[in-house]
Amino acid sequence: MDSSAIALTLRLACVTTVCLLLIATPLAGWIASGHGLARRIVQAAVALPLVLPPTVLGFYLLVGLGPLTSFGRALIRIIGHPLAFTFTGLVIGSILFSLPFAVQPLVAGFSGIDLELVETARVLGASPWTVFWRVVAPLSRAAFLASVVLAFTHTVGEFGVVLMLGGDIPGVTRTLSIAIYDQVQEANYAAANRAALWLVALSFLALLALYARSSTRREGSLV
Amino acid sequence: MSDPHQHPHHRLGVRCRIGSLQIEVDLELSAPWTLLFGPSGSGKSSLLRAACGLSDCEGVTFARHLHEDNWLTLQDDSDHMPAHLRDLRWAPQHASLFPHLTVRENIEFGTRCAHSSTAQNQARIADAMRLFRLDNLVSRRPRDLSGGERQRVNLARAFAAPGCKLMLLDEPFNGIDHALRDELLPEMRAWLRDHNIPALSVTHDVEEALQLQADVVLLRDGKVEAQGPASEVLQKDRVRLMSSLSQLR
Repeated sequence: MDSSAIALTLRLACVTTVCLLLIATPLAGWIASGHGLARRIVQAAVALPLVLPPTVLGFYLLVGLGPLTSFGRALIRIIGHPLAFTFTGLVIGSILFSLPFAVQPLVAGFSGIDLELVETARVLGASPWTVFWRVVAPLSRAAFLASVVLAFTHTVGEFGVVLMLGGDIPGVTRTLSIAIYDQVQEANYAAANRAALWLVALSFLALLALYARSSTRREGSLV
Repeated sequence: MSDPHQHPHHRLGVRCRIGSLQIEVDLELSAPWTLLFGPSGSGKSSLLRAACGLSDCEGVTFARHLHEDNWLTLQDDSDHMPAHLRDLRWAPQHASLFPHLTVRENIEFGTRCAHSSTAQNQARIADAMRLFRLDNLVSRRPRDLSGGERQRVNLARAFAAPGCKLMLLDEPFNGIDHALRDELLPEMRAWLRDHNIPALSVTHDVEEALQLQADVVLLRDGKVEAQGPASEVLQKDRVRLMSSLSQLR
């Protein structure tokens, strides 16, 4: 059992999910709060990882964060080392790759809130911050749950970006999905099966939490 | 016209197109209670939304009289004070109650946004619940309320929120039966007078307008057709109402 891969996967998924919540919430709020070309362009860009092969995103991140680009060189000068093949690099890749899974449910959730509730709250004296915490957030609980579960499970199951950007360094960038690949390459099917079962269990439990809540609220869809 | 001896407390100008309706209105609000009267689609609710700062219209000017010749600009071509800083309270037409909060929590909403003391807030909440006969509904959720009950919570929420400088009521008796409306009207007017809060409300109900004895602004197709005491401005409607009542008898 590759416990360091399990620990690393959980750590990566937790850090990525927290970062994604912080990024996706204002981004989804902005996308849901109006129309216009700028919002549609951002929405399409956010959704790109849904259709792109993960290796494409991994490749661009590897090149973009490395010494081949001026941005990458500036970054290396600032932090003292390249981000590729590090845990931080992996987090950045995961955030970008799982961004649509965190943003889309929130956009759907925020768009479903009756605008007049927000307007009424504002005229009653609520600041934008208060409106978010006392009206928008409680009415978007299902969307937040869907966002967290999808971001977490998607990060847990990530392979292409991790391999391209992180390589396969045990304890640093070797996640469960990479470990399974290695074990299969070594024809160690029993170990691969154990690691795969961990992934199945983790993902199933997370999705069960989501659907169990949906059924108690008599909601059929994810969000 | 409105009483020339009263100084206007607010000035509202709206020039904009909403759908097919071209609104061109300049209002001086000086009466304790001003009533926007007119048929559906004449732009009444749009004026309230413009005053709240919720409208996309460019041509909105809104100012509050402070003292002597000093006015506070809430909105003009260069300024747009955010809705939550305008010290307005609004009971929207569709009683949009917060569905995740109980009746009491809905009514408390505005007090929690304010900086007034807890004791003052509690007194205000109790006062509003008594005024709108909501004492038996405190722990209910909006989904368990009838249309009239929802509307009374909507009104109580606006009345309970402290710091109000102008009360905006959009068809406040929507869904409330006439007997209760006749009870509530004088009590609401007295409450607003006691708290020194002017009101701007919207209706298309002649009876309500006549009972309130408010300053009436008659709107038609986005323009002011007449402004003055209800008995004068709504003279024709009054005669029509009286004759239909006598026919009923």
